[in-house]
Amino acid sequence: MLSFLPVLLLNAFLACVCASSDYHERLLLRPLPQSTLLASFNFRSNESSTAIEQQNFRYFPRSFAQILEHAHTKELHLRFSVGRWDAESWGQRPWYGAREGGTGVELWAWIEAQNEEEAFSRWLTLVNSLSGLFCASLNFIDATKTVRPVMSFDPEGDHTNSSNLHLLHGNLPHEVVCTENLTPFLKLLPCKGKAGISSLLDGHKLFDASFQTMAVDVRPVCDSNDGGCSLQMEQSVDMVLDIARSKRPRDNPIPRALPIGEIECDTSKPYDAEDTCYPLDKKVEPAWKLTELFGRPLKGACPLTEEMGDEGESLCINTPPEREIQVNTTGQYSEARTALDTLRCYKLPVGADFDLVLPEQKMTTGLVRAQPQLFAARSVNGHGQERGSVQAVIRNPSKDAVEFVYLESLPWFMKPYLHTLRAHVDSLTENPVKETYYRPAVDRQRGTHLELRMIIPAASTLILTYDFEKAILRYTEYPPDANRGFDAPPAVIRILSPYLSTDKKGIYLRTTPLLLPLPTPDFSMPYNVIILTSTVMALGFGNIFNLLVRRFVGMDEVSALGAGGIKGILAAKLGRLKALLGKA
Amino acid sequence: MAPPEGADAPAAPKADPKPSDPPSESIVASRTNKQPPAETLESLWVRRWVILSFWAVVACLGLPMWWKTTAIYRADLPLQDMTDWADGKICRPVFPLRIAVEASPQVQDAHRLIRTTQHALDDLNEFSAHHLRLILADLPLPANASQQAIIDGTSSTGDDQDIALSVRLIPVETGETPRSHLQPYAPTLDVYYSPNQIPSASSTASPLATFVAHELHKIFADEQARLSYLLSASSSGHATKWKALSAETAAELQRQSTRVLKYAPTYHLTFSLFTPTSVPSAWDIEPALRQYLTPLLESFATISNFTIDTQVQLYATFSPSIRQPEYDEDLKAWTLRKEDLSGFINAAEWPLSPSIGEGPTVNFALYVPEQSQSPLLVKENGASSWLVPQWGGVAILNPTSSAAIPKALAKEALVPAMQTFSNQLISLLGLPQTPASLPLRLSTLTRVRAASLIFSASSTLGALAQVYQKMPSIPVPDSVAKSVDLTLGHLQQACDHFRDGRFQGALEHARIAEAQAEKAFFERSMVGQVYFPDEHKVAVYLPLLGPVAVPLVMAALKEIKSGIATLRRR
Repeated sequence: MLSFLPVLLLNAFLACVCASSDYHERLLLRPLPQSTLLASFNFRSNESSTAIEQQNFRYFPRSFAQILEHAHTKELHLRFSVGRWDAESWGQRPWYGAREGGTGVELWAWIEAQNEEEAFSRWLTLVNSLSGLFCASLNFIDATKTVRPVMSFDPEGDHTNSSNLHLLHGNLPHEVVCTENLTPFLKLLPCKGKAGISSLLDGHKLFDASFQTMAVDVRPVCDSNDGGCSLQMEQSVDMVLDIARSKRPRDNPIPRALPIGEIECDTSKPYDAEDTCYPLDKKVEPAWKLTELFGRPLKGACPLTEEMGDEGESLCINTPPEREIQVNTTGQYSEARTALDTLRCYKLPVGADFDLVLPEQKMTTGLVRAQPQLFAARSVNGHGQERGSVQAVIRNPSKDAVEFVYLESLPWFMKPYLHTLRAHVDSLTENPVKETYYRPAVDRQRGTHLELRMIIPAASTLILTYDFEKAILRYTEYPPDANRGFDAPPAVIRILSPYLSTDKKGIYLRTTPLLLPLPTPDFSMPYNVIILTSTVMALGFGNIFNLLVRRFVGMDEVSALGAGGIKGILAAKLGRLKALLGKA
Repeated sequence: MAPPEGADAPAAPKADPKPSDPPSESIVASRTNKQPPAETLESLWVRRWVILSFWAVVACLGLPMWWKTTAIYRADLPLQDMTDWADGKICRPVFPLRIAVEASPQVQDAHRLIRTTQHALDDLNEFSAHHLRLILADLPLPANASQQAIIDGTSSTGDDQDIALSVRLIPVETGETPRSHLQPYAPTLDVYYSPNQIPSASSTASPLATFVAHELHKIFADEQARLSYLLSASSSGHATKWKALSAETAAELQRQSTRVLKYAPTYHLTFSLFTPTSVPSAWDIEPALRQYLTPLLESFATISNFTIDTQVQLYATFSPSIRQPEYDEDLKAWTLRKEDLSGFINAAEWPLSPSIGEGPTVNFALYVPEQSQSPLLVKENGASSWLVPQWGGVAILNPTSSAAIPKALAKEALVPAMQTFSNQLISLLGLPQTPASLPLRLSTLTRVRAASLIFSASSTLGALAQVYQKMPSIPVPDSVAKSVDLTLGHLQQACDHFRDGRFQGALEHARIAEAQAEKAFFERSMVGQVYFPDEHKVAVYLPLLGPVAVPLVMAALKEIKSGIATLRRR
């Protein structure tokens, strides 16, 4: 370490001018239909690669960087998600699916290694270390839950030698994301949830949301102009809050009916009377405040973002221009309007609480919500303990044909029959599957990896089906709650064309995970078997043994020998008693 | 199972003579009933053989098989050797230090001088294990030796590893003689003398010899104290043999040894800047470390390697368990109570997790208090830094002026903190404060560390032997036996190196021995079985063993009873 220090220092002088370290954060609020609100938190920190090599950490968390270095990981993506993104009513995903994970925990990383074995052993190091850092069961990502996708993911970062980078992808659909994962997530931030937009993040509200996803993305970024590189860490939290539900105070969380006099009634209903009332749907945007929704105040800006100039606007709200917004703060702030006044951004005051107050308002205009390119749903069909089938329905509402990659990584105990794979589009006679990559499962060693490149014509629906067989597990392989069923991870769909994203992030969507019921044994069976077998063996042994060693005598000769055992003793006692009584 | 009626027909001759009596009373009835035929000797023996063979099968085949299949594997360990090492019976560490004496060619009687000095030295020495042996340096020195040797400290000796200290005798005409000078960056003691102080052929004592002996004794006094403390602390068997240490010295050494980090080949140093607010959010740590710490770490390179990482942590609050600082009017400062210092590090919130990789992490935390709470001092003594034994150090950086805390700390502002951290690191690594020469202190540290590693490896072996003997239910895999063998081998080699005075080699072997001993002792597979005692084994098989054992035991008892009865009747 010390020997090459001077060399590094020389580099530091050369590089410190160009490779910058900075920190940036932004919260985007966007009202969604059905009185819900999307809150997208994004935290981005850069650390120059020389500082990383010298292990001088300012914005980048030390523990995380050391894990990456130890596991030779060059790029990493980690997702914790709960709930389902309701694309039908909420529209396009906030980051086009690039920062939203499937339900549970998802992790993929590019690891530098000479060969696949080395890459896999480093992958195990990585998942075990991350498991400790994030208090999640990431260490359960083993060979059976790891696949090496071919077409679905591309590195986001700038890698100098990508020839010995290995992509590994792991999934834990069963993992329950909870407060204990949020706390370490916040600790990685420079302002730690004590200032800046991260001060709004509260476990109670975050995990009460209709949909929430936390993401950690690390990638190397190189400036093409001067060649200076830095390691970028992006943390994001996206949550869809139900406004009415979130506004309930924590000490009185049960919704109660208002007195009838305070409710506006729909008088057009025929049953409307003095004592019956149908609440009037006012078709207005509900009133809300930041403090109310998130249950805690926004404690000003994180001072580290101050240096950023225009980038320092860390709170944005995307509403129609007519929407009334009041700002409630004691400090200095500034407001900027962009994108035809539909985006209002605020530069937050340092050291003073900041609150947005939106009153109830009847809207005449609305915002156009981007529609996703594809809708996807997947389900398990069939019944019985032995076989089943999977059906994925992928709908293309747009006017262009969409090319996409469909990645399925199934657990080994769910064995698909590839010959039953059918992809069918109503309006098309030819097979929409253009390319197939399939790696069959090996029992207890690896899962199935299926990747399909498909084209779906405009305004049509593709139905993908395949049958599978359920394996019977060994007694010890069942988890504690085996009758709940087993989770199969969500399918990942990556859209290749016609939409090309500019920043290498890609456009993704994910289906919901599958719940697969497997035949479960009676778990008290081994003990029953032990007892039953022992009894049968003991019975057989006793009979044979007695036949061999007992002396057989005539019925009328038994008493002459004197009955043995308890019966004999009792008989003798009884006889003596009788004799005594008879004498008396 | 009752035999058919016809079966007892041939037994009629043995029947009671009065079978027609009515069974009015049971006692009478038994007498009056028909007697079964006498059992033939053959059938009696057949039955006995049957029972015996069943028992034989159970005892010779069943039980051993059951025992074998449910037994846990325990590798053989050389328990006697392990205990002997722990008791210090095998290796009595000795520290023969070679001291090269370089005398200019003018000194004709160098050999005699050395002999007399050696005598004087032996008289002074009270600690028999630590022995200073003077040898004459082979190379004759050029006249201007003093200048040259300063440039290149190792020029005078062939294999400098084995030479603890070089004494150079330099004749001078002026100044007070004899006088001595210990070079701070080389293991060299310069002794200046006037030519008339050379002992003559006839005299047995000379002022120069006595002077050199006293100087040497003084230089190594601290090391002797340390080693004798180590020997007395490590095993009771040695205690009586060594010279008694004074109570204060022992207490001081005790205090020092509790601070010192456990030895490791690699240490991770983590420097963290903590602040309760958002400033300062940057520090000029890289040049500061390069200037103030790197030279120190380089000098430790022969003993351990170091990795360094730094971090900045904002919004670091005190842990709720300690009292908030109070303002002290006399000191004009905010004060922390001494008893709260142990809770100053907020372990729950401050990210001071150990670094990944082998070796312990040493933490150095620099805390910059809030503007409104500075200066922040320790109430009892007004100090602003303290050492956390075996963990690291904390320094509070109070701003020098009343101006607002800068956003970035400059290198100059970090100087006092860096000096504090260097001193703390020296204490944590156990480097002695004396003598003045750094190479000597480092070689002292090498010897102390090597000896303490040997003792700790030996005592680990002893503990393992005890565990092996006292807990017969734990499994012992072969890897443990292998590690123990390796440990014993390396301990022996370390001990041999000690005897030959090759301390660097001794440290290497002691290091491996310690690592292997720890590996053997903390073998994971040895723990699991402790929670699965023998009772469980019996409980699982009881449904089978119980019903099978009852007829076997009853038949055997009955047969023995009848056998005894038959014998008595005879």
